[in-house]
Amino acid sequence: MRKRTLGKRAVALTMASLMVAGLAGCGGDKGGSDSKVKEDGSIDTSKHEVINMLVLGNKPTNGRLEAMLDKLNPILTEKVNAELEFTYIEWTDWQTQYNLKLLSGDTSLDLICTATDWLYGWENAKKGAFMPLSEDMLKTYAPKTWAQVSEDDDWDICKYEDEIYFIPEDNYVQYTNQGMFYRGDWAKEAGIPDGTISKFEDLTTYFKWIKENKPDCIPWDVPGKNLTGGVLGGYIASKTPYCVINGVGVGNFTDFWGVMTDDPTTVMSPYMEDDSIYEAAELMKEWNDMGVWREDVLNFDGDSREEMYAGTSGADQHHAQTYYSTIVPNMNAKQPGSDPKFYYWGMENQNVSKPLKLHGACAISANSQHPERALMVYDLLRNDEECYRLLNYGIEGEDYVVTDDGKLGHPDGWDQSTMALGSNFWMGRNDDLELQDSTWWDGTADFIENMNSFAYDYPFENLIIDTTSIESKQAALANVLSEYIPQLAYGKYDDPAAAIDEMREKLKAAGYEDVKASIQKDMDAFVKTNGEVTIK
Amino acid sequence: MKKKQSQEMKVAMTAGKTGRKKSFGKTLYNNRVLLLMCLPAVVFFIVFCYCPLPGVWIAFTNYNFRDGIFGSPFAGLDNFKFLIDSGQLWLLTRNTILYNLAFILLGNVFQIAIAVMLNEVRRKWFKKVSQTVMFLPYFISVVLIGAIAFNILNYDTGALNTLLRETGGDPIKIYSMAGVWPFVIFFCQMWQQTGYGSVVYFAAICGIDSSMIEAAEVDGATSWQRIRYIILPSLKGTFIILLLFALGGIMRGNFGLFWNLVGGANSQLFPTTDIIETFVYRTMTTQNNFATSSAVGLYQSVFGFALVMFSNWLVKRIDPDYALF
Repeated sequence: MRKRTLGKRAVALTMASLMVAGLAGCGGDKGGSDSKVKEDGSIDTSKHEVINMLVLGNKPTNGRLEAMLDKLNPILTEKVNAELEFTYIEWTDWQTQYNLKLLSGDTSLDLICTATDWLYGWENAKKGAFMPLSEDMLKTYAPKTWAQVSEDDDWDICKYEDEIYFIPEDNYVQYTNQGMFYRGDWAKEAGIPDGTISKFEDLTTYFKWIKENKPDCIPWDVPGKNLTGGVLGGYIASKTPYCVINGVGVGNFTDFWGVMTDDPTTVMSPYMEDDSIYEAAELMKEWNDMGVWREDVLNFDGDSREEMYAGTSGADQHHAQTYYSTIVPNMNAKQPGSDPKFYYWGMENQNVSKPLKLHGACAISANSQHPERALMVYDLLRNDEECYRLLNYGIEGEDYVVTDDGKLGHPDGWDQSTMALGSNFWMGRNDDLELQDSTWWDGTADFIENMNSFAYDYPFENLIIDTTSIESKQAALANVLSEYIPQLAYGKYDDPAAAIDEMREKLKAAGYEDVKASIQKDMDAFVKTNGEVTIK
Repeated sequence: MKKKQSQEMKVAMTAGKTGRKKSFGKTLYNNRVLLLMCLPAVVFFIVFCYCPLPGVWIAFTNYNFRDGIFGSPFAGLDNFKFLIDSGQLWLLTRNTILYNLAFILLGNVFQIAIAVMLNEVRRKWFKKVSQTVMFLPYFISVVLIGAIAFNILNYDTGALNTLLRETGGDPIKIYSMAGVWPFVIFFCQMWQQTGYGSVVYFAAICGIDSSMIEAAEVDGATSWQRIRYIILPSLKGTFIILLLFALGGIMRGNFGLFWNLVGGANSQLFPTTDIIETFVYRTMTTQNNFATSSAVGLYQSVFGFALVMFSNWLVKRIDPDYALF
């Protein structure tokens, strides 16, 4: 009998100590303000502070970052008596590492890089990782940022339960809409007018021509292992007015839930409710039979971009910014005369949504010891030309030069792969101070202007979906999709239509309607508070 | 229950009277050196196996970070429902168990066969060289095995299909044929593990009293008879212990090997290659869903526990000497 109580006590003790260990991480005091506003209106910065900035990226080891900080920190010290320090979350296992870092309650973090579509911004705001920012605080300590964001009327999208949690990177234009890179010279030879692909069917013509005329080249040597959804989503976006809702991806299939822009408040999934998926799957079967990709595409994880540079793949798939910053300069250097072009999804029906303004954002850690000073530093980094250039480009003359026509260039012998700065300041780039990169495609500005002329603002920026209640059903849906989508996307079914019917049955059984109803509930609440949603 | 207790008391009392039974503390003290020696192992199991046990609770909650493990709302068996709802529980369990049965049973048979054969080889250099060659695959990473397999088996440029084409045959789409993959996976597993595993049996053979074998030789036993009547029976104990240990992990698949050979995208092969580990990894990684993953882990553990108890019971019935406990 004695023995048993002893055992019980031991168990209780173990459990208690575990709970204490678990709770210990949640404490941390908010920190007293050491940047008080003095009576004369100026801010007291008599105490020197170290501001720690969390960024995503591989920690540079070439010493350039340190050299830059040696120049930047004296300036920051002089202006706001603070210095900057970096904490890196490296790309290996970044999803887990990022969330863990935030939840560990680390009191040394101040500025945190986040994003609501790919970096769990809302999730962490809900979990209490970020500090709510009052308007007074922003006005006092980050006045320039406050003014610019207010001018663009973007604070509302940063609110969760009426409190501001993010400072958006809203004055930086980049298009990250997906599409296909291809060679204009070959497209012209394939008989496509002007060598410009303007609809999905043209891709078939292009691929067919490569298959028949370039025996050493795979039309599109896609690593299906890493792109399990293929271009099904691209087809749907190009043939229907479909707009994806971000942040409710089903497993790897991030474009599963959305709305049709002509009925923008009715949540649905085209994989379940639209006929375009049948056509898409038939086309993919045609492509597969034609040999657009290798037979074992689903087990292939090569690099189709490098292959395109080498001339062994006729196409590559990624987004617009990759096209004008990377593909054009590289193709022009490695395949002169190839006239690289970009066919983006939604080109034929003008269905393109502008990138989220919270695709990059800054948050202040809930455990920051000196949030006011952090805001002051951020305001400088984002709006002061000297600080901005140091942080983003490095030391003038060593890391970068300004060309005669006012563009960004690099000194002779500078090599991107070994000498990059790696400061990864994606939480506050600013077009007012941004230098146009001279190595980029010279048509970039026109391209962006053209996109601006018809792309619509993403309407659901601050629609926050409650994912906890649908988690296990979403997992069940993801499981069904992971069985069917790869085979549909790469044309591996003999009868795609029958496979889709079967998939839909299984999705229904896995709880499709329940999840849909739950998301619709959040959507209804969103409409109630934000008023009617219109797109375009 | 009461009866038992009073019996115990009686025993204790008589023991106390005669003073033959030592106190618990004294027993500990007398065996202090032995206890000290197993202390690291005890600490290891306490820290890594018993302390995390309360975490099993996660499997029954709707877990969130803010409320923590014991504060999160209770969800009952909802997390397990996902496994059943997905309709794959049976397929996954079947695949996992069948693969592991094949790995364990045939694996041991191969290991014994190799050990016995090597033992019969008289040329020392041949013995050493072949042992080394068989040992090497064990040190090759499964990532590499996946790459090697792809380069041999793929349709467009694979070694096998190139050979078929060159010799006038028709190439085969191996990565679309679910039926052949159990063999491919089994082959890779054996190729990697057999050499390493045979060492244990080789050691066991070396431990057999050589006078027995010599006596058999004097009596005119052939090689085959020596193996059949002396060596194999002597390996029985080792075999059963290894078998029982391995059975505990029968619900745990060799994730690395499966993931690298098949991957998470080629769903044509899932019906014959999907095991619990790959399933969980595929569906959970992007969802950050701890509760459901824990539920699957718990299911594996409980099933594995039941299996060990059952097999131990079975062994005990057949021959109590070989039972683990």
